[in-house]
Order: sequence, then structure tokens, then C-alpha cells
Amino acid sequence: MKLLRVAAAVAVLGLAAGTGRAEESFAQVAEAVNKKLVKLFGAGGIRGLASYGTGVVISRDGYVLTINSHILDTQDLRCHMYDGTRYHCKVVCAEPELDVALVKIGRDKEKIELDEDQFFDVVAAAKRPLAEPGTGILAFSNQFQIATRDEPMSIQRGVIASYGKLYGRLGIFEATYRGDVYVLDAITNNPGAGGGVITTRKGELLGLIGRELRNELTNTWINYAMPFSAKIDVRQPDDKVVTTAILDLVEKKDKYKPVPKAKVEGGGGYTGIVLVPNVVERTPPYVEEVDPNSPAAKAALKPDDLIVYVNGLPVVDINTYHEIMARFRPDTEVKLEIQRGNKLSTVSIKVEKPKGGPKKVAPKKETD
Amino acid sequence: MTYRTPRRAALLLAALVPAAVVAGLALGRADAPKGAALPVNPRVLEAEKQRVAVIEKVKPAVVALFAPGFTNGGSGVLISPDGFALTNFHVVAATGPVFKSGLPDGKLYDSVLVGLDKVGDVALVKLLPKKEGDKFPFAPLGDSDKVQAGDWSLAMGNPFLLATDFTPTVTFGLVSGTHRYQYPAGTLLEYTDCIQIDTSINPGNSGGPLFNMNGELIGINGRGSFEKRGRVNSGVGYAISINQIKNFMGQLRSGLDTDHASLGASVESESEEGALSKVIVKSIIECDARRRGLDVGDQLWSFAGRPVTTVNQYKNVLGLYPKGWRVPIEYRRELENKSVEKKQALVRLMGVQRQELEDKTNAPKPPPGPAAPQRPVPDSPAKKLYEAKAGFANFYFNKQERDRLLGELRKYGGDFTKVQGDWDLSTSGRLYAGGNKGKFIAADLAVKDKGAKDGKNDRVVALLDGLDYSLEPLNQNEKDTAFKDPPESGGLLTAFYHYRQLLAFGMKGGEISHGGTEPLYLPPAPGSTGRVDYAQQRIETEVLRTRFAGIDGKWYFSTKDGSRGQLLAFEVTPERDEDPCEVYLSDYQKVEDKMLPQRIEVRQGDKTYAVLTAKTWKLSPAK
Repeated sequence: MKLLRVAAAVAVLGLAAGTGRAEESFAQVAEAVNKKLVKLFGAGGIRGLASYGTGVVISRDGYVLTINSHILDTQDLRCHMYDGTRYHCKVVCAEPELDVALVKIGRDKEKIELDEDQFFDVVAAAKRPLAEPGTGILAFSNQFQIATRDEPMSIQRGVIASYGKLYGRLGIFEATYRGDVYVLDAITNNPGAGGGVITTRKGELLGLIGRELRNELTNTWINYAMPFSAKIDVRQPDDKVVTTAILDLVEKKDKYKPVPKAKVEGGGGYTGIVLVPNVVERTPPYVEEVDPNSPAAKAALKPDDLIVYVNGLPVVDINTYHEIMARFRPDTEVKLEIQRGNKLSTVSIKVEKPKGGPKKVAPKKETD
Repeated sequence: MTYRTPRRAALLLAALVPAAVVAGLALGRADAPKGAALPVNPRVLEAEKQRVAVIEKVKPAVVALFAPGFTNGGSGVLISPDGFALTNFHVVAATGPVFKSGLPDGKLYDSVLVGLDKVGDVALVKLLPKKEGDKFPFAPLGDSDKVQAGDWSLAMGNPFLLATDFTPTVTFGLVSGTHRYQYPAGTLLEYTDCIQIDTSINPGNSGGPLFNMNGELIGINGRGSFEKRGRVNSGVGYAISINQIKNFMGQLRSGLDTDHASLGASVESESEEGALSKVIVKSIIECDARRRGLDVGDQLWSFAGRPVTTVNQYKNVLGLYPKGWRVPIEYRRELENKSVEKKQALVRLMGVQRQELEDKTNAPKPPPGPAAPQRPVPDSPAKKLYEAKAGFANFYFNKQERDRLLGELRKYGGDFTKVQGDWDLSTSGRLYAGGNKGKFIAADLAVKDKGAKDGKNDRVVALLDGLDYSLEPLNQNEKDTAFKDPPESGGLLTAFYHYRQLLAFGMKGGEISHGGTEPLYLPPAPGSTGRVDYAQQRIETEVLRTRFAGIDGKWYFSTKDGSRGQLLAFEVTPERDEDPCEVYLSDYQKVEDKMLPQRIEVRQGDKTYAVLTAKTWKLSPAK
């Protein structure tokens, strides 16, 4: 009898495969994944900053992984579950170096008990082998805040284009996470998508969709997701290097402390060039002073020199100058095209490690 | 997303294309495998074959619309063999009412705007065949309620106006979400209950079709979420669901500049905390919903049969219906003793663009909303099929539909033009008004030809349950109440007068236009108080709108084969902000050479006024 039943099931399946559409729908996968995601709402809403994002539920008691974005910077963080239930949430821990945060659903001491199909096993996901480039994926997120309450997440399809180190920047700042990521051909680089997930076409968890970054080199938007096995080496103030991983946050929860980091003030470093005060909207980058014995002094820069190009990029104002210079790391050779009187000339300077306290970075500009 | 070709970009493109081709060729050579081809999963090949077959099947129906001068354009899709095609309002706003369309057969067709739904961003256009009677290829309409997030889809159209031979560009992707609500862009253009896709759509794709993998039309592409990348594909596009468009199709076909609906009430979530909360009526204006009993504080339970769980869901379902349609709603009211009373009502929807509120005078007004820029209509054979008129997208098509329906009315009911004199109707029936519960009465109604005091105009008289009523519809000094007599009927005398005007005088009786299609809900048994299953009561009808003696009327005709042109019901509205007099006609019988109803049910608001059975119909020629 049992055998017969199995045979019947096989026959039915066979039929379905034979006559069914070759373009299978992902509706069931979408429904299953959607149950395990939350829509996050928090700080933002001004100056084009989204006040919404996405999170992935990773435990029965309501822990949620998301990216360490500005929306978490509030006492009034909320989430909407797949069924429309609304909860207050709080940030449990965050690691800027990984750009990941752990959030707990519910107010203090509020006990949350979710169903078996409402969370992902993130540890198992982290242990799975990495997906190869060319693997078909599905991306789930609440980009553009299209969904609220019980409305399901957006689903997109794509392919893993490559796996490699992330070199991203956020406005003029270098992005903090510089570890390995999946690069995607799906357009996930949209407001609110960060903290969403990519899965295989069968719905197996692969990665956490990252934030809206641009590629450092090409200045184009990067669509990427971090694998859950992501880890990063951090150089501490005592010059010791420690490794921290997404799973450390998941395991230690509120006991997790962000890794202290040696002060490297972003990129840029020291050139010894002091520019004129940035007073008008488009102040031309005239040199005011040159520190003695600095790389600039060695290159014989002088006050009143006008910096016209940096490595071939036109420098229209002081903000642009800072923006471009911020991309270089210490020990990089940079070519400056300068105008002195009526003459153009090219000088080469070697950027050094920043000196003293935190370097002042030009205010963040609306780059778009 | 109409697309305007910037001249410089066009030049640039022209310069780039050969380069791209060359590069492509070079790459092809370099990458060509030296050995045997890689084995490919047969399912992948099968899927590809099916996809190609679907594309080949639907491609001939995809339209490329062009503004005069070919500076601007969009996409569309043919939906009938006689050349009707769907596109976006914002596309025809750029092309103007008379324009040209290209089909993948490589030919350009003269085309004309037919109907508009500005709020829904939909337009119906018509392509003129090259030869009278030529049939166009067309796409079958699907059922967009069956579409699920995760389904594959095909978008076709003319992004960036790339195709100079009108071969559509095909993009393939997932449905990312369904029943999405997108807030109005600007003031009106609202996308309700729309389909979200990651299938690439770009400027120029606007108005083009979204197909399911069976090649059925499930939506019209029209909008995307754009932000930092400018107006190009961001992985988030939206298509207007075909099921919404189906509701508006009758309005579009009859050349209307149609409007979406508003309930007249605003709603909000009762609480933002915890589980899904109730959707509560926050405020309500004087409107039909209020007259039907809906009040502030009531919980909106369902709307047109769909449960209302969030404000977005409510806006989604509201956006599916044209102004003037009636929809059943269910609501709950908490009583003082905390018990909850379940209520239901059939509500007449008002317009979004508030024409009904503003247009109290009969003065012609320019149509509201973002009007197409005024420009001369280009010379084209399609120009003969275009007639501008306020309130209409193209009055030419309204006249066509109106005259056809008037013809069907005559065909079903007979010729009444010879009986333009006295009309006498003698009935007996049951009265429910005035606290009566079906009291047996006699009721006689008559229009007296030239019976007014001035001896020129008509007079309507009634003897009903022993009481006399009189109305001179064309008398400027007639009392307002006379138009609404007998009390609680909503204006039965006015209704009877209008009935004679329509049948005996037709176009000579006043203004008549086609009003598209609407569902008619047959009234429940008189005096019944139980729950009404409105889905069971619903009949699809075609509508005529009239204005006789300064009063609006609306007439519902059967669309069933065999009874086409049968007048099922009509209503007259002597007072705009009050409930009209509704008259339901049935039991048609041949009286001499005319079909006349033997059962006449008169209602106002939620109540039956009376149910009358005709004893004699006496229709006389004019004196």
C-alpha cells in the first residue's frame, strides 16, 4: 500500500514536470522567505535619508540581523512582521567594522516566541559552502518602503556575478566593511534594501544585502550581499589584529563589544598642504600654506598654487579636492597638476600617514 | 515614462551603435569555444523554447506610439481585432489625440485617442486598419488577481524609442509584488493594486504590455521607483493591473474622460501597535456612504467583497472602481453596551476629481487634471474619428456607443416615436413608504401632453393611495418638492416623465450620452431585513446618462444576448445631494407592438417605496 502511494506520488510529480511550465514560479519560495523577514522603521526621513530598512529573523526568540545603518540610531525602532504585527525593537549590538547590527524584537524583557517557519538558521547558512559565481539567486527586501504591515517584501532575481573584496564608499567616506562580498547583477542598491537577504532559487539563505555604496574606482553603485560567514581583521590600538565575524554577534548577543580600532582616519592621510579657507560654495583649491618637511614641501609646492587636477581628475573646488584626496591611502603616489601664474605643471607627492588628532573631513555633500 | 529623444543623445547613440556591434563581433570571436559545446540542461533549453514561442505569439500586438514629428512616444498593446489598444494616459498626453502607431509588421497606422482614465494613468486608443475590415493581431486579457510575487513576466515595448522598425524590445523578469499601492505622483496619477516587477522598464516602455508566461496581458507598464539613478530601470517597476482596467473598459470604450472613485470618508488604522488593527472611519463628508449609515468611528470591515485590514489595502481596492459605481461595504459599529453590530450597505462612489461637488451648474468646464497641451490636431484620416468635448476624451466614440445603445433600446422595446402624447399607466401594488408594510394600494401615473397651466408644456399627475400629485417639469416656478413627490419616493413623477422623454423623444428629449458600463444590484425582496449577498444580486449593465428638464438621469441596460437593450432600471436625481428615485423594471410583456414592464419597483436610499404591477399602459400619439 505504502509502495503504491509512493508510486502514485512519483507519477503525479512526473506529470507535473512534463506538462508544467518550464518557467517555474518562485511564489512559494517568496512566501516562505517573506515570513522570516521584518520591515524596520527608525531614524531618518530627512535629507534624503531613508527611515526604513529590512532585517532577517535568525532565532525563535526574535533576534534580527540587519546592516548597521543610521535607521538604528533611535529609541523608537519598530518592525513589522510578515503578518502585520508591529513591535518595538532595540539594538542589541553592532559592529561597524562588519557593518552589521543585531536587533531584538520587542520591548525590554518582552518575551517573543516565533513559529518554526519564521526564522532562518543563520549558523547553518554561515557553514554552507560559498555560492559560486553564476549561481542564480533571489533577493528579498523592503526597498523603497513599498511594503508596510502585512504586505510582503519585494522579490527580485539575479545571478552572483563574482565574489571578492568590497571597496565601497559612502559619499566621500570610505565604507567601513572591506571584507568579502557577493557581487550581484540584481539591482539591490536601493533605499531600504540593506538588511534584506539573498537566497538560492530554492530559498536557502546566502547573504545579507548591503548598504547603498558606490564602487571606489568606478563611482558606480554596487549591488552586493555579505555572506553570513563574513569576518574581518581589525587592527587594534595596540597594533594587535583581531578577527571578528557576523556569527560572533549572533553568538554573544548583548555581550558583544565592538572591536576597538586603531585610529586610521579614513583614507587621505597627510600631504602638508593647507588650503585657503573654504568660504564660498565653490572655493577654488588655492594653497595657503605648505608645512615644512611635508610631502608637499618636498614636491616644492608653494602658497598661491592652484590645484587643477588630482591624478587626472578635475578639481573644481575645495570640496572636490577633499573628496578625491580621501580616496588615497598613506604611501600612495599622487599626481597633482598645479597652476602657478600662467603656467601649468605636474608634481608628484607621496601621501603620508595622518598626523595628530582626527583629520577634519569636508562636510558630506549631496553627491546625487 | 514617455520618452523624448534628445537630439544630442540620438547622435551619440548613432555613433555608439556601430562601435558596439564591432566590439560584440570581436568578443564573439575571442570567446568562441574551441571544442564541443557545453552540455546544457534540457530543461533550460525547453524553457528557452517556450519563452521564445510566447514572445513570438504576442509580439505582433505590441504597439509603438509616436507623437507627431516622432520626437516623443511610448508603447501600447492591441486588445481587439478592430484595433483598440491600451496605453498610459501620460503617453497620450504627449502624443495628443491624433497620432501614429507602429506595429512589428513594420507599418505605421493612423491612430486616435478613444478614452481616458487620468487618475489610473490608462488610455484606450484605436488604430485604423489600412483597409476597411482588416483584422489586427491582439493580446488576450489575463487575470491579474492570479499573478503572484515570484512569477516570471515579460515586458514589451519601445524603451528609449530604440526600434525604428517597431520591433518591440523584450525584457524578462520576476513579479516582485502584487496588490501594491503607490501614492499619487503629482496630484492625481495614483497606482492602486498594481503589479511590481524587476523586469526592466525604461522611458519609452510606458503603456506597453506586461505578459505572464502564457502570453496573457496582465498589466500595463507605466511607472518605476526612481531615485539616484535618474529615470532608468532601478529594479522596481510598476504595471497597472489588467483587472483594474477591465472595470474601466466600458468607460474607456465610450470615449469618457473617466474618473476614479472616492468613498467620501477617510480611514485610519486604529492603533499602530501590536497585531493588525482595525481600520476606522476618521472623517466623513456628506455623501452616499454617510446617507447609507457609515459614520465616524465605524470599523470598515470589507469593501467590494475584499477584507480591509490596512489603509493601503483599502486604497488599493478603492482604486479599482470608476466613479459612480455602487459597491457593497461591510462595517462594524460598537454599541454603548460594547456589543458589536454588523452592518452592510450598498454605496454609490463619488469621484476623485470632485466634479460632482464642483459642477453644480451645468456650465461647461475644461476637464480637470493635467490637460494635454493645446495644439492643432494634425491632418490625418484619424481626425474624422475625433471630437473634443468637455468631460470626454473623444466624444466621437461616445456618440457611436450612445447611438448603438439607443438603437438596441428601440430594437428590444419597439418604436415609441409615434406615441409622443399622453401616457397613462394604471397599476395596483404594495406601498412600503410612510411606515406601511406592503399596504395594498392603487396607483395611477400619467404624463399629460401640453397639460400644464400654460397649455404648452407637459404635466405629470399621479393618484397614489388616494392622494393627488402634480408636477410641471418645465415650469420655472414649480416647487422643488413637486420634483421629489410623492414623499419618500425620491421623485416618482419626475422619473415617469423622464421615462417617457427617453422612450418617445430620445435625442430630442434632452442631452444623452453613453456612461460606460456599471454593475446593477437588484434590490432584495421588499421589507426584508436579512443580510444581502450582493454578489448574487449583481448584473452587468451598460449605462446611458441623460439630462431632461435640468435633472440628471441614469439608465441601466441589459448586456445579455437576447435581452440587449432591455431597460432594467433607471434613476433620476432631482436634488443632487439627496438619494435619487430608483425605478427597477421587470416582467416585460408585449403591449401592442411595444415591450413594456409589468413590474415596477420604486426605491429611494435603502428603502422600497412601492412595488407596482401594471394593469394598463396607454400611450397616445401627440395631439
